Amino acid sequence: MNLRGTVAVFGDYVSGDVILPARYAFLDPEAMTAHVLEELDPAANERVRRADILVAGTAFGYGTGRESSARALRAAGVKVAIGGPFARMFYRNAINNGLLVLDCPALVGDGVEDGCEMEIDTVAGKIRCAGRVYAVPPVPDLVNRIVAAGDLVAYGRSWLRERARGGPNA
Amino acid sequence: MPEPGLTLAQKILARTSGVAHPRPGQIVEAMPDFSYSHDFAVYAIDAFERMGATRVLRPDRVAICLDHIVPADNVRDANNHALIRAFAKAQRLRHFFDGGTGISHQVMFERGLVVPGSLVVASDSHAPSGGALGALALGVGETELGFAWATGRLWVKVPDTVRISLDGALPPGVHAKDLMLHMVARLGVLGAVYEVLEYAGPAAPSLSPSERFTLCNMSAELGAKSGVFPFDATTAEFLRGQAQFDFEPVQSDADAAYARELTVDLAALGPMVALPGREDRGVPVGEAAGRTVHQVFIGSCTNARADDLAIAAGILRGRRVHEDVRLIVVPASRAVMAEAARTGDLEALLEAGATFMPSGCAVCAGVHQGVLADGELCLSTSNRNAPGRMGNRKAEIALCSPATAAASAVTGVVTDAREFAAVSD
Repeated sequence: MNLRGTVAVFGDYVSGDVILPARYAFLDPEAMTAHVLEELDPAANERVRRADILVAGTAFGYGTGRESSARALRAAGVKVAIGGPFARMFYRNAINNGLLVLDCPALVGDGVEDGCEMEIDTVAGKIRCAGRVYAVPPVPDLVNRIVAAGDLVAYGRSWLRERARGGPNA
Repeated sequence: MPEPGLTLAQKILARTSGVAHPRPGQIVEAMPDFSYSHDFAVYAIDAFERMGATRVLRPDRVAICLDHIVPADNVRDANNHALIRAFAKAQRLRHFFDGGTGISHQVMFERGLVVPGSLVVASDSHAPSGGALGALALGVGETELGFAWATGRLWVKVPDTVRISLDGALPPGVHAKDLMLHMVARLGVLGAVYEVLEYAGPAAPSLSPSERFTLCNMSAELGAKSGVFPFDATTAEFLRGQAQFDFEPVQSDADAAYARELTVDLAALGPMVALPGREDRGVPVGEAAGRTVHQVFIGSCTNARADDLAIAAGILRGRRVHEDVRLIVVPASRAVMAEAARTGDLEALLEAGATFMPSGCAVCAGVHQGVLADGELCLSTSNRNAPGRMGNRKAEIALCSPATAAASAVTGVVTDAREFAAVSD
């Protein structure tokens, strides 16, 4: 998978409750975008909405397992979260919403700034940004398939169709 | 060279995925034995329907328990609840618990729905609570719960296991919550990320199911995939006549490959308070003593069982909650509340000035009731204290045991319950 986009940078220990407080968890995804990360500061909301790629520090998304944190980021246009290490439920929820998560702690705080252009090649396991090249571990096959399908709902739809046809999922 | 033995978590994933020797880090597709959800089931239902699924597989192995916003606050929440009730009925889900029954993790625990050796998944980060009974209990998202209903399976990264050796005995006035706040402070909120914590060691057998619940529950606060107390005589006694499913207990092999082992000396511990902002900011209670408290919350899946209410009632009996403090008590379930009524703890708490709310997540979920004013501090027996967790980012939350919470409710400031008891008795 090759991806290219603009970066927004966030720090360490941004909890799932801060990404999207529980009181907004039942809004439509579109309405969530007005609140995503505003708990951090109002500028954070504007920054994330302008970005395609989110560079996040350690423990991003820790705490609550509410999927709305990932759903809101995806709705705001974020396609990849990179940095970490990430909290595990955030990792799962992001991927299941078609938001690829790449562990690359070396990149955090290494001169990558808001507005930087980043190129990601998941097959080669390389990220290019701000004149530097970083290595990322390969994306597990199943994760690739879910993200390539769009999200877990789309993946599940074709899985169920396959089963109905009596294919390997039957 | 022969392969090393398997951990409890690996064995459960081997059985449920069909992969004989799942390696840590490997992704397998496993078939959960039991799953449950709560108010956020609306998203699982939405995903299930958008996938084109029509039938929940094994509906006798699926539960929903409304707990986050109960009773409903507004039309939207009420409609969500109605949608969930209708779905549960249409899909003939065997186990539906309406609002007020209790917090889902507690309800599954006390009704024998979580059994040893099983793979349990729940769309909530505190699913690891089920490890108290020897299950591998994993928190998952709502969409993937819908996927599991439709397909019977779920992707799981095989975890490393950390053996936590519990030595010594907790001193009087020091509780399982203090042990956990100590561990979170020592290891950090990602201290065991993606790992399973297996609680063992000389002190493990003496811990009650409720104490085990507290530890497994807050394993989430270490970033862990889960926490587990392997099946023993205590588990067997607790489940006698209660277990809803046949089960086969699972133990780690003697030569299982653990990622590492940590030892905690329980005898060296004292009461802890996690200072506002992050769960790993735990300090000995003395370092927080004297801070003004505006609200005290005795509730949540972590610490609102009958033993927790008994500890609080033991301190509050014959005393009054400070006039500048609101004490909110939310029993973890209706059954817990009934038990507290039988023992007299309920009366003691009411007479001391506690306000009771219906069993559920209540204040901890930050969606309704018990919201804090700007600048206030809530001392809470719950598990999370991130900014804004209780609905106002200009307020603060500190975490503690029910004993510290009860003593501080009386004095109006953070108080070491041990000194308090000595002075007043």
